[in-house]
Amino acid sequence: MKNFKFLVYPYLIWAFIIIVIPMIMIAVYAFTVKGNDVMTFKFTLDNFKEFFADAIFLKVLERSLIVALITTVICIALGYPAAYIIANIAGEKNKFTMVLLITIPTWINMLVRTYAWLGILQDNGLVNTILKALGFPALKLIHTDFAVIFGMVYNFIPFMILQIYTSLTKMDKSYLEVAEDLGANKVQCFLRITLPLSLPGVISGITLVFLPAVSSFFIPKLLGGGQYVLIGNVIENQFLTAGNWNFGSAISLIMAVVMIFLMWLTKKADKDPAAEKGGV
Amino acid sequence: MKKFFALMLCATFTLSAVGCSGGSDTGSEEAVEKYGSDTLKVFNWGEYIGEDVISNFEDEYGVTVIYEMFDSNEMMYTKLQAGDKYDVLVPSDYMIERLKGEGMLQELDKSLIPNLENLTNDVIGLDFDPDQTYSVPYFYGTVGIVYNKNNVPLELLEEQGWNILKNTDYKGSVYIYDSERDSFMVALKALGYSMNTEDETEIQEAYDWLLDLNNTMEPAYVTDEVIDAMAGGVKDLAVVYSGDAAYILSENEDMGYFTPNEGTNLWCDAMVIPANSENPLLAHEFINNVLTYDASYDNSYTVGYTSSNDEVKTDLSAEDGEFGGNEAYVPRSGYEYDEVFHDNQTLREKLSSLWIKVKSTNS
Repeated sequence: MKNFKFLVYPYLIWAFIIIVIPMIMIAVYAFTVKGNDVMTFKFTLDNFKEFFADAIFLKVLERSLIVALITTVICIALGYPAAYIIANIAGEKNKFTMVLLITIPTWINMLVRTYAWLGILQDNGLVNTILKALGFPALKLIHTDFAVIFGMVYNFIPFMILQIYTSLTKMDKSYLEVAEDLGANKVQCFLRITLPLSLPGVISGITLVFLPAVSSFFIPKLLGGGQYVLIGNVIENQFLTAGNWNFGSAISLIMAVVMIFLMWLTKKADKDPAAEKGGV
Repeated sequence: MKKFFALMLCATFTLSAVGCSGGSDTGSEEAVEKYGSDTLKVFNWGEYIGEDVISNFEDEYGVTVIYEMFDSNEMMYTKLQAGDKYDVLVPSDYMIERLKGEGMLQELDKSLIPNLENLTNDVIGLDFDPDQTYSVPYFYGTVGIVYNKNNVPLELLEEQGWNILKNTDYKGSVYIYDSERDSFMVALKALGYSMNTEDETEIQEAYDWLLDLNNTMEPAYVTDEVIDAMAGGVKDLAVVYSGDAAYILSENEDMGYFTPNEGTNLWCDAMVIPANSENPLLAHEFINNVLTYDASYDNSYTVGYTSSNDEVKTDLSAEDGEFGGNEAYVPRSGYEYDEVFHDNQTLREKLSSLWIKVKSTNS
């Protein structure tokens, strides 16, 4: 096996080019003075000062974290039962079909799907047309908290379901049989065996949902009507319209630090059940 | 200034090339001999060209055109900065001013563009390049209000101008264009100032004006979604580019287009040749070709933006033309309060951070 070690080098080089270099560039931009010329390094902390000095940016950050948190909680609440049901369906073929149904929407570009919801939730869109035809009053759906969170949950829930599903199917079923033999009831079996063993899936699901939800910018832009500014929108704005790459990079860096901290937290949370698992 | 498809690219972070069409092989040697190369790289806005303009040009000159699209002047500028080379670009007025100032454009050889005489008078003498030394207008227009004629009386629009956007009778029924330049233009004009002002108090007043609108009107901030939404009659009032308005009006006859008396942004997107173009001769040929009646007609007919070709503009806006009776197709010109944007990077950054604050104030 030792002889194949060199196979990792292309990956390392690739990872360096597409992950490390851009990160370094972001850091360089974040700590330097404005200007298109990257070669004139002029160290500054102004970009960070600008962010923390203005209550509005902190409020936007707070709002982004809350929206992402709500999205993640809903994704777990809806995704866990879904994954559990799929994992317990009889027959490989049925499981495959269900997983396929979950995955199919992700084959279509996320932006296109979000545009479709724009049409469905619009004031004179599909939902309201049906409501009116049935004699109900029209609902205000688009450009609301509901629309943004709905769009996020819709876009990110497949990642949650698939992660949990994978960890559920990987689980050794004999644990459950043993537990039942020893007199545990269904609820006990689930709480003491299935749930702890599937937690790694939930944790990686959280990572896959929470991170993109925090930094998503076109879902709030389209479904929130632009009024719904999240941190991703601020970053996008700094890069694409304001042309202030340095400030944009500083915000990105602040976000990265927040993310790393949150990842560290979830990792810690992940460790505890793992320790417990040893006792099962 | 349509951004729909380009936005898709942007969102998926694939900023690379789209839609090159295969050219004919015949005559390419001839083209190489005549122009030094048989490929031309054109960088234009998304959804901004007629269906057959490129293929006709390729067939006629025996060349291959590599056609790429951008969704904002800034994105185009960033690509140029990154070292990408193009032969023809179609940036807007203020961006041409910046490119010119930074020495990134080359002077045009007017003897190679005899069709310059086809230009309409409206686009000649605009501040950013008054005598077509560097640029040849492509489309032009204004920014105005698209309104639902059944719900908003024209007299009220004439009386209130831009301030109708703050009329609480239309609360929750207003689309504002989501860009700092356009929103501050509206606010500054509503207050009777120049949209190119650098006066701190005037900018502060404009900021307060927008904040007030944000807090009292429940506006929706949109970009290209406004086109379909207004064509579907979703809201009563919307700030829209005249070219997009022309499309909305042709789709929905309840809609009207109004340019407020306080003045507005007169804009012009024009073709330029970058200083590092590898094929300037063919680029001149392309620009000349776009100015022909057929190509200009195809462009304007397909996209709905006002043609810089005088005859095309006249024909399309004639009573039996495609845009006959469409008040958005022929933009107001020569009005004393209408202005062209100037390039001002400091001001732009300032407005941008103010604008994000306006939008973030809610909830």
